[in-house]
Amino acid sequence: MTQITRRNFLKVSAAGTATAILTGCGGERWVELVPYVVAPEEQLAGVPTYFASTCRQCPAGCGILVKIMNGRAVKIEGNPEHPVNRGRLCARGQAGLQLLYNPDRVPGAVEQSERGSRRYTPIAWNEAINRLYEGLNEAGSRVAIWLGTTTSGHLVDLFTLFADAIGAQPPVRYDLYAGYNGYNVLETASEGLLGTAALPAYDLANADVIFSFGADYLGTWLNATGYGVGFGQFRAQPYGKRGVFVQFEPRMSNSGASADRWVPVRPGDEALVAQALVRLIADEGVGPAERVEAARAAAADVDLEAAAASCHLTVAELAALARTFAEAQRPVALPGAALAGRDNALAAVAAVQTLNLIAGTIGQPGGLLPAQALGDAGLRPAVTSSYGDAQALVARMQAGEIDVLLVHGANPVYEMPPESGIVEALANVQTVVSFNPLVDETAVYADLILPDRVYLEGWGYEVVTPALGGLPVVSSQQPVVGPLHDVRATGDVLLTVARGLAGAAQALPWEDEVAFLRERITALPVGAFGGEGPDLQWARFQQFGGWWPAQAPQAELPDVEVGGVAPVAAPQYQGDEGEFPYHLHLFMNPLLGDGRGASMPWLQGSPDPMTTISWQTWVELNPVTADELGIQTGDVVRVTSPFGTVEAPAYVYPAIRPDTIALPLGQGHTDSGRYARDRGANPVRLLGGEPGDNGANLMWSNVRVKIERTGEQKSLARFETTVEEAADAHPPI
Amino acid sequence: MAEHKWTMIVDLDKCTGCQACVVACHAENNVPIASETEVVRGRGLHWIRIERYWEGEFPNVKAKFLPVFCQQCGSAPCEPVCPTYASYHSEQENLNIQVYNRCVGTRYCGNNCPYKVRYFNYRAPEFDAPLEQQLNPDVTVRGAGVMEKCTFCIQRIRRAAETANAEGRPIADGEVQPACVQACPSDALIFGDKYDPESRVARMTPHNRQFKLLEHLGTEPAVYYLKGGETHVGD
Amino acid sequence: MLETRTENAPFWEPTVPEDEVLAQQAAHHRDEYLLLDPRPPAEINALMLAAMRRTGPVFWLLVVGLGGMVAALFTTWVIQMFYGIGITGLNRSVMWGPYIVNLVYFIGIGHAGTFISAALRLMRYDFRRPIARAAETVTLFGLAMAALFPLIHVGRIWKIYYMFPIPNQRELWPNFRSALLWDATAITTYMIGSTLFMFVALIPDLAMIRDRTTGLRRKIYGAFALGWRGTEGEWHRLEVVSNILGFVIIPVMFSVHTIVSWDFAMAIQPGWHSTIFGPFFIIGALFSGVAAVILVMVIVRKGMRLGYFLRDEHFSAMGIFLMILAMAWVYFYFAEWITNWYGNLPMEVALQEMLTGPLAPFFYLMLFGNIIVPLGTLWSRRVRTSLPAMFVIALFVQIGMYIERVLIIPGMLSRNELPFNWVNYTPRWPELLITAGTFSFLAFLYIIWTRVVPIIPVWEVYEGQALQGRRRVGRAILPTRSDPH
Repeated sequence: MTQITRRNFLKVSAAGTATAILTGCGGERWVELVPYVVAPEEQLAGVPTYFASTCRQCPAGCGILVKIMNGRAVKIEGNPEHPVNRGRLCARGQAGLQLLYNPDRVPGAVEQSERGSRRYTPIAWNEAINRLYEGLNEAGSRVAIWLGTTTSGHLVDLFTLFADAIGAQPPVRYDLYAGYNGYNVLETASEGLLGTAALPAYDLANADVIFSFGADYLGTWLNATGYGVGFGQFRAQPYGKRGVFVQFEPRMSNSGASADRWVPVRPGDEALVAQALVRLIADEGVGPAERVEAARAAAADVDLEAAAASCHLTVAELAALARTFAEAQRPVALPGAALAGRDNALAAVAAVQTLNLIAGTIGQPGGLLPAQALGDAGLRPAVTSSYGDAQALVARMQAGEIDVLLVHGANPVYEMPPESGIVEALANVQTVVSFNPLVDETAVYADLILPDRVYLEGWGYEVVTPALGGLPVVSSQQPVVGPLHDVRATGDVLLTVARGLAGAAQALPWEDEVAFLRERITALPVGAFGGEGPDLQWARFQQFGGWWPAQAPQAELPDVEVGGVAPVAAPQYQGDEGEFPYHLHLFMNPLLGDGRGASMPWLQGSPDPMTTISWQTWVELNPVTADELGIQTGDVVRVTSPFGTVEAPAYVYPAIRPDTIALPLGQGHTDSGRYARDRGANPVRLLGGEPGDNGANLMWSNVRVKIERTGEQKSLARFETTVEEAADAHPPI
Repeated sequence: MAEHKWTMIVDLDKCTGCQACVVACHAENNVPIASETEVVRGRGLHWIRIERYWEGEFPNVKAKFLPVFCQQCGSAPCEPVCPTYASYHSEQENLNIQVYNRCVGTRYCGNNCPYKVRYFNYRAPEFDAPLEQQLNPDVTVRGAGVMEKCTFCIQRIRRAAETANAEGRPIADGEVQPACVQACPSDALIFGDKYDPESRVARMTPHNRQFKLLEHLGTEPAVYYLKGGETHVGD
Repeated sequence: MLETRTENAPFWEPTVPEDEVLAQQAAHHRDEYLLLDPRPPAEINALMLAAMRRTGPVFWLLVVGLGGMVAALFTTWVIQMFYGIGITGLNRSVMWGPYIVNLVYFIGIGHAGTFISAALRLMRYDFRRPIARAAETVTLFGLAMAALFPLIHVGRIWKIYYMFPIPNQRELWPNFRSALLWDATAITTYMIGSTLFMFVALIPDLAMIRDRTTGLRRKIYGAFALGWRGTEGEWHRLEVVSNILGFVIIPVMFSVHTIVSWDFAMAIQPGWHSTIFGPFFIIGALFSGVAAVILVMVIVRKGMRLGYFLRDEHFSAMGIFLMILAMAWVYFYFAEWITNWYGNLPMEVALQEMLTGPLAPFFYLMLFGNIIVPLGTLWSRRVRTSLPAMFVIALFVQIGMYIERVLIIPGMLSRNELPFNWVNYTPRWPELLITAGTFSFLAFLYIIWTRVVPIIPVWEVYEGQALQGRRRVGRAILPTRSDPH
């Protein structure tokens, strides 16, 4: 052993110090560490399984793959094979797991002896089905069925057969998603234009100019994911063009934020601007000769000055936009929700579709694609009911003509304006049965809740509309996990009940819903994934997430003629301009949608793209308006329309017209689970009950409101900076 | 020498701000959701966030989206400041790793991160039963007092590496996709190994619109942003 | 002509000059200067012991009140451990708040003690003699309070041992590249050094008390007095040890606050990344420390009736000291911001706009407390010798320096390179309670301490008195000093 002398000690110390210095400041920037405490992310256990299915968070019908580990669904991903969404998935689609695992799901069949008491008694399924049967048996044909747009296609078909068999009116398929976006108006317009009632599918990927009239197609319009995929391709076009995208809307949506030009058009004047563009193409003679000719045939008398003024533009600037459209190779125009939400909606939508007609791209790449035939399988896209149909049903309920109301996938008490009288009407229905997995606002008025399996637990198919990707698609839905609770598929419940009902037994002969599904699917021609024989075809249908042909069928283009002059009357606003000085603009943010996202914490807690607000309802107003009214962000304001009032904190929003007030839909639930309950306000309360005069649509974009401070304050849950000075700071991009 | 250089490209021209990536990340990485009160207190927690900046005034106002997540810096300011090596640079993956087990919560890394992409668990995450059944078993659930951040979905990288290793082949381009990239509808996020010359990211860089966020700080981020807006014609 | 002392007369019996003028001057000196007003050591000891034994109702009220606040401090801390840092007002951008402010503040006030007793001792400034222990106590307890804050601050206190370089199964040492670890090392060193330094100087006084108590107390004091008998050799060794420790602790003191400043300066956070931070923090620390000592001096003199020891001359000297530090602080602050302002970098401009915008009340209060108040008043001897004035001035400096740290830590953190992430910080009750609790804890320990050890180092006082003399030059008598070294 070395003796430690003073000299040795100094040597060792020096060496130690040197080592310490070298290790501290050595040339190696990265040190390799293999410590005992390693990140568990580096140790993976188990292999996941993936099941293909269909998303039901909105009506679009995107294909999904659900990742299952240890019997639990842990992640939803887009199905890369699926022609609609090409492996991509929006925020709402991702959050489907929180519907499956929602803590507030109804765990089994329950009855509510006193409506609105929110006291539910569990009952056995046999008893529940018996009670449903008895109710239906007594009611005979005095039965109404109210479905939502996310009700699986097979259920819509089954319910339709059922209603037909018992002599009841066909199901009403209406919810706020359809009402706000004007599905019925768009379908009717498509029927008039292309001969098929289906939601319009635009080939954005191959367009080079997009004129969107208030269509938030990157947020919530028709199919945000599918159109998002198209937008990505539109921005990266192979032949060296970036694409020009112009958005006309009174309040900048997140689609508007992605636009090259955002034009703040006055609410209600979208159609006028579309017509002005046609007029300008005709007058200025820009673009190819056939377009000019078509424009001349279609151009109406338009006050160009007024149209330009309502866009904060000069006529010359508007003419430049017309030139951009006319001179593009494949321009496309999208009729947004605001058009379908005003009076005279059909004509307004038609005014925008006229631009597509003039472009001459219908049925061609970059244009409006006609719906594709599905063969003879009897499968066609489920048609949406209009708000007028829903209102008519409410009137029949009010009149006591309905004894049993079956509600699946819709939440009319939340989604219909109170002016429609829905709550009073429900009181006149003897038995209300809800099939919804959560106790929503409508289920509170139900006598029986027979919770359906949520879509990740249940079977189904969906004939996809709008049929993006140019293919007819039947998307498949299958259980990816075992049912979490003691819930029964509504299809099975219906088939069971039908056995005892005269007429229905013959019309619905299937043993269970799977037999029905199988029969329908195996009747389809052989699709992209082959499959000889029904067994293989059925298996492939589930394995690949649906059926679609390998190649787009040669569609027969309908003979589309550019119509004559179709003037659109100026919008009739609801509310006197003197008393209600501001336009109301409602919008869905891409998270909560029409309100069904509110029960999922991921969607509640993720920031709205434009305001970064989560968990709340807010009122957007222009800085100028806010200054005039002395309102600051965080001041609670009262917004009053001729029909109702909501209160919410104000958010000063730089990209909204000074004459417009905007509110997001989606909050203001009184039920629908702990995450949705008692949060924000439901701006549907501001709407009137009367359907539009042309299209029987929900009129939400022509309402006028007034706004006043309540004197209260509420901190907005903003993710963005709350420091005012940040607005003056230089952004990093 | 690291084998991979995992790299992300963010095409700002395609980002629509739709939040699909945000929710996908929450789902994949067990990221807790901040309650309303927490957000009001400035504690929103998202591993990937979409910053929105305004430009101009009405009617010529523009909004710009900027997705920001951990830039996996080559010279990361967060790494040297951690007293417990909870934040360190892994040589294998060439990523900035956060080892939650080692983290004592000094929050120094959070201060020193110029991108502010490190989030602190101010409270223990709550998953109301049965929401916890959704949790991804490949990813730790972080408790209170721990710093966390985007990992480029390292669990997916590991899984792909293990699969490729078992099959005796290199990881193919596109085999690894972080949850955000996978979800992004408009293909604004592109991910791959820059050391693989055939990968999409390697072929796309250098790009005529490319820049790195806060490049002047010399953090050598592994994220390239492609400038958006009207500034480019064609590519 | 040298005034001689009678061979056998003790130093506390100085001769009175026969000349009337000179006698007046001598009397004046006795009034003015502690060291020229010698009294018998026994009398001084008795004076000190009486002050230590005095515990009136005010004292007990303080003990109970401050003790309650200490209980609140620890209760809040336990609640915070249970619920997480989330109960504070910290947010996703401002991750360091009052806990780190308090860390810096308490280490800062801990600088004065060492500086006064070590540096002034080595430079032989006699006015430090009665102040030294009060100042060292501020150091000791300030450091103890500061040492609490890393523990309160971290998210997982139960894993704090990951930061210690101990052999472990994790096969992982702490990261010595982290400024936090330098900080921990420096603080620990400083704490050990200043405790030793204080203890060494305490030994003769502990022995003095040992000799004047009985029973258990005698045993305890005896144990700590290490068998001190007061022999020539012992005094000599005390002198040597004190000098060595003094020399050692001064660089440690400089290193501590430099390294504390590096916690910030090493980070690339705008407003923090500055080379001037090391010396600037040291000046700031001395500034707030000296002010803290002045506060303590006022309280001790009033509360313990120690007017004999703490005289105008001490307050005046400390006031001048404070004024010089205020000037140095202004210089550094000005140098820091003039370069930032002239450079006009966007982030630094944003910080200046923050300071003169939303944080303007705090910013101007800080400038008022740190510059206007001390520089505007301390030039006057009347102010410097007025106890209430000194108290108020020192309090302003404390407030100003505390605000300065608040502006640097949560203030600067609320601005960063990506303006989307600017989040302002507002404290919530736990930080406020823990901060108030820590100040109370310091005061609590302090008042207990004043009853346990002599807060005036009596031996230093009569050592000084013994070394002092007067020299007559013409018609004047000047104090003089016979230094054995």
